[in-house]
Formats: sequence, C-alpha cells, structure tokens
Amino acid sequence: MSSLFDYDKDREAASAAKVRALEALLIKKGVLGSESVDAVLRHFETVAGPFNGARIVARAWVDPEYKARLLEDTPKAIAELQFPGMTGAEGEHMKAVANSPTVHNLIICTLCSCYPWPVLGLPPYWYKDPVFRSRGVREPRAVLREFGVTIPADKDVKVWDSSAQIRWFVIPEQPARSEHLNEEQLAALVTPEAMMGVALVPSPHTA
Amino acid sequence: MFTRFEEYAATQMLGQPDSPPRNDGKLLFSEEWQRTVFGLALALSKEGHFEWEDFRHNLISAIAAWEKNACAGEVTWDYYEQYAKALIELLEQRGMLKPGELERQMRLDEASK
Repeated sequence: MSSLFDYDKDREAASAAKVRALEALLIKKGVLGSESVDAVLRHFETVAGPFNGARIVARAWVDPEYKARLLEDTPKAIAELQFPGMTGAEGEHMKAVANSPTVHNLIICTLCSCYPWPVLGLPPYWYKDPVFRSRGVREPRAVLREFGVTIPADKDVKVWDSSAQIRWFVIPEQPARSEHLNEEQLAALVTPEAMMGVALVPSPHTA
Repeated sequence: MFTRFEEYAATQMLGQPDSPPRNDGKLLFSEEWQRTVFGLALALSKEGHFEWEDFRHNLISAIAAWEKNACAGEVTWDYYEQYAKALIELLEQRGMLKPGELERQMRLDEASK
C-alpha cells in the first residue's frame, strides 16, 4: 500500500510544480497580471462561495425584528451583517420569503439559472436542469416529494421564479427542539437546499 | 443573466461533464495548486485570452479521454489534473505557450529551490 501512497504524493507534487511554473511563466510573459488569479478566486471565496445564508437565517430565527426587516428590505438587512467582500451590486436584487405553518416556498428559475450567489454559494447542478425548472412550476408538490419533502394538502406551496431583477431565497421554519441553541449552532443546521425550499431544516437531534 | 464573468463561467459547467467538485455551495480544492489552476483559467478567459467555451471544450475532451483509458492506465481520477492538462493544451494551441517553455520554467524553479 505504501508504494501507492508514495505515487500519489509524487503526482500531487508534479501537478503543483507544473501549475506553479505555468503561473510564473504567464506573469513573466506579461500575459497575466500578478493579481489577476487572486482577484478571480477572491470572488468565489468571499462573494459567490461561502454559504452566508445560514447566518442570515439564524439571525432571523433569534431576532424577530431582524426577520421583519429582512422580509421588508432584504438587501438592507443583509448589509447589516457585513459579510466580507459583499458590497454593492451582488446583494442588490435579493428578496427573502419566509416559510410558515401555512406556507411553503420553493425557488426556481425558469429562464436561465438566476441564483442568489452571495447568500447561497454555488448552485447545485440540478438547479440548471430544464426538467427541474419546468416541473417546479407545473407540479411543485410532486417535485418536493421527490426531494423528500412532503407538504400537507392544507399547506400552500408558493413557487418563486428568480430572474436578473429578483433573486429569491427562503427563510425556512426553525425546527422543533432547537430553542436552546445559540445563533451559531442554529446556523450550522441550515443548508443551501433548505434556503431553496427543497429541504426542511431538521431538528438538532434527528439531524 | 450574469453580471459577473466568474458566475457565468462556473454556472456553464454545472451539471455538465466538466462540473468542478463542490461541497455545500463551495468549490472544493484539496490542494493549493488546484485552487491556483482553477483561477488561472478563469483569469485568462476573463482578460480575453480565450473564450470560456473553448477552454471547456478542451476540458471535456480531456475528461472523455481519461474515462476511455481509465482502466488501462490505472491512474485515479483527479479533476484538476485534467483541468491543468486542458489549460496547457489550449495555451499551446493559441501560441501563448511555446513547446518546451513550461518544462524550462519548471527546471528553473527546481534549480532556484
């Protein structure tokens, strides 16, 4: 077995050396600025990468007044939390909708694949799937059942179609038996899927 | 509609054969060089050195070639290895890298250690 691991280490080292040389060479030749790669990566790591949404939801759960502000003026309420790197345009068009005992919300995008990157990070692959998109409109309850979320018949299902103008996200319901958790522990329960409405947030002990 | 090249580029790949490894809404890099090479291709395309779709074409071909030979070669799957290969090929095709140039730089780096 050890020879297998040695091989892998060599392979990683070879790839690392090759990529390092490639970057150095392109900068030396003036093809690439020395900051260009970092600037691109920073976008993924600070704006469109981290799952900031969990913190927004946890704050809304512990602070009803924050939740009201979030529903009223989403970009302004998100700005209160001061996520690093998120300034101006990225957060501009977002709008939050809240799940409740009587309403379940589902987010889709029928046009292309508009998505609230700054709060949810990279979209899951199926978000772009035309079948998911069209069935989400036509038969949201069936689609949700396939995701393992059964919505009782007397609960409304609302479907929100994201666009370049408005990028929706869901504030899921706080799970039962989570009242004793602090904000950070609550945030750890929230998933991007729950904020798209295709999952519920499980109670802490059943998670 | 995308206002940022980075988001356009990453979204084009999702659900396709060249979709990058992700975990919980984040790109998944297990080594620093993977992060660097991902950023290199994006930065070069963003600055207009090639169309993103042209890079993806090479990447999809590299992945398909690996899949075809996977069992014969017994080399385990490494997305970013194919990614680096596709990028280097494209730069050579476009004349941004001359034959042997990368190897020379690697020897220089090795010597200056």
